Amino acid sequence: MKSVKFVVFTFMLLCVFGLVACQKRAVTKADTAPEAQPQAVEKKDQEKVTESKIDSKIESVDVKDKEGQYAESKESMFSDILFDYDKYEVADIYKPVLKSVSTWMAKNTSARLSIEGHCDERGTNEYNLALGDRRAKAVKDYLVSLGVASDRINVISYGEERPICNEQTEVCWAKNRRAHFVVLTKVGK
Amino acid sequence: MRTTRRSHRVESIRLRAISVALFTFLLFASCSFPAAVEAKVYIDITSPSAKKLPIAIYDLQGPSGKEISDIIRDDLTFTGLFMYIDKASYIEPASERFSQQNWKPLGIEAVVKGTTRENNGLMVDIAVYDVFDGRTILTRQYQSTRELVRQLAHTISNDIYQSCTGLPGMFRTKIALVAEDDGEKGIYVMDWDGQRVRKLGLKGTLVLAPRWSADGTKIIYSSERSRQWGVYLLDFVKMSEKRIVASKGTNMAGDFFPKGDAVAYSSSKDGTPDIYVMSLKDLASRKLTHTQGIEVSPAVSPDGTHIAFVSDRGGSPQIYLMRSDGSDIRRVTFDGSYNTSPSWSPSGDRIVFSCRRGKNQICLVKPDGTDLLQLTDAGNNEDPSFSPDGRYITFSSDRDRTRGIYIMRANGETQKKISPPGLRAYGPRWSPN
Repeated sequence: MKSVKFVVFTFMLLCVFGLVACQKRAVTKADTAPEAQPQAVEKKDQEKVTESKIDSKIESVDVKDKEGQYAESKESMFSDILFDYDKYEVADIYKPVLKSVSTWMAKNTSARLSIEGHCDERGTNEYNLALGDRRAKAVKDYLVSLGVASDRINVISYGEERPICNEQTEVCWAKNRRAHFVVLTKVGK
Repeated sequence: MRTTRRSHRVESIRLRAISVALFTFLLFASCSFPAAVEAKVYIDITSPSAKKLPIAIYDLQGPSGKEISDIIRDDLTFTGLFMYIDKASYIEPASERFSQQNWKPLGIEAVVKGTTRENNGLMVDIAVYDVFDGRTILTRQYQSTRELVRQLAHTISNDIYQSCTGLPGMFRTKIALVAEDDGEKGIYVMDWDGQRVRKLGLKGTLVLAPRWSADGTKIIYSSERSRQWGVYLLDFVKMSEKRIVASKGTNMAGDFFPKGDAVAYSSSKDGTPDIYVMSLKDLASRKLTHTQGIEVSPAVSPDGTHIAFVSDRGGSPQIYLMRSDGSDIRRVTFDGSYNTSPSWSPSGDRIVFSCRRGKNQICLVKPDGTDLLQLTDAGNNEDPSFSPDGRYITFSSDRDRTRGIYIMRANGETQKKISPPGLRAYGPRWSPN
């Protein structure tokens, strides 16, 4: 019984509502004096708030960047490892370079190494970032296999974001497809 | 006893449903029969052979009137569904009442007239007429402030579009992008037509394409800060930024799930880039892929059941598809040796991506791998994403030397640059609303 009452009540309520809605609409239809649409006005006000929020600067940022405890070497003491197009395997000709890196790391026990992976501009940005990551990782893996402790090497990819050569030529692209070494030496405590 | 109560409840729900349906019918019937024009669809956008609707748009009389009319004209023309008829051919003076006879001989089917006045802001009255039936399709008044004149005009465009097609317009949407200012990259937001370019005050150096949540209140993006790639979430309502993935390795966004309670991202925290899904409630991550190669760029399907992503497990980067739990991995693309940056159409019937054909182009494919279609052929084109109505695609291109943001129809027609000349910009993402 309750539900039948509910239906009847809803029905009547909605009929009244429907009538009002129709009347309003009929007024709006008049050619000469269109009735104001409060909805449209309301929407505008709300919109303004959102817009101004997007325009404003970030108010609270809960990210705190840690101070680096290591100083970066200005110029790399090791030459770059170059890669084939779209590839991340370390070619045999670079293995002597990596051998000298591992030897140096063995002598300088407090130093750490950061390996940057880079790509040429022809790929897409996101995939290049992953490719650069994979290149740096491939170099790290080889150094670890030569005995360098894994926790002394970190890797960072810059994808195609930091080219060292800016022309659109094969020579330039080849230079950009690289793993670059940055030696980090301990500073302070 | 229990069964009867349950059946009673079911009955009650059913009755309620009937009453709602009845109401809907009555409201619809009583309102729309006297004014059947409300339901008339002037352009059937689903029909590929639909002809363009010839439309006359007067300069609105009053302050900012011409500016508003020009915006409406540009909006409607870009859709490819309207043919704008030049003002020179209008016989009817703007101030006179609409008369069918003035328009029929010109072959014009819809007429937009209106006035504006400045009164504690900007008031605009708009009327749209149907020439064939000699009726008014739309009369509406709009109120705003002078500085929001573009949004006001786009709102009018939405209403005209809806009254002619029966579907919501997308003229109030935005595009988030990455742009360079003095060599520093940052996230920007602009209107879909390239106007009102605004830089969000975010620090950080290298930034990749942002992704919107389905409700348009948040974006996630990757940023490199202090030699570490993190995934960041920006909440437009709270206006706060939060780092949500900070593990070791290269962490990249990623995509929201439709409910906004989880994100997909890629990370090399275990050594090589793999796909993860993270709950935004407790920030707990689950690993979905497990290869020694590259898995990157997860794109969540609109219904949340699947993830498209890029993998080089077959020897070259290709688009793959898996269920959102990581099962049932299938390869989607087979043509070419470099297919990346997948993104879904809003209905989930297409994946748009960057395909290498010499240079990078924009391609479309069905999730089952069929119906491959190349949409661009000039320059390098990357980072495609659909508009929320599925009719348009935004992407970046270097075809005129400086990389910038472009839009086109989803069939490849009307490709045009929308970002300001000279601004180096990429990674565009169309807002969902």
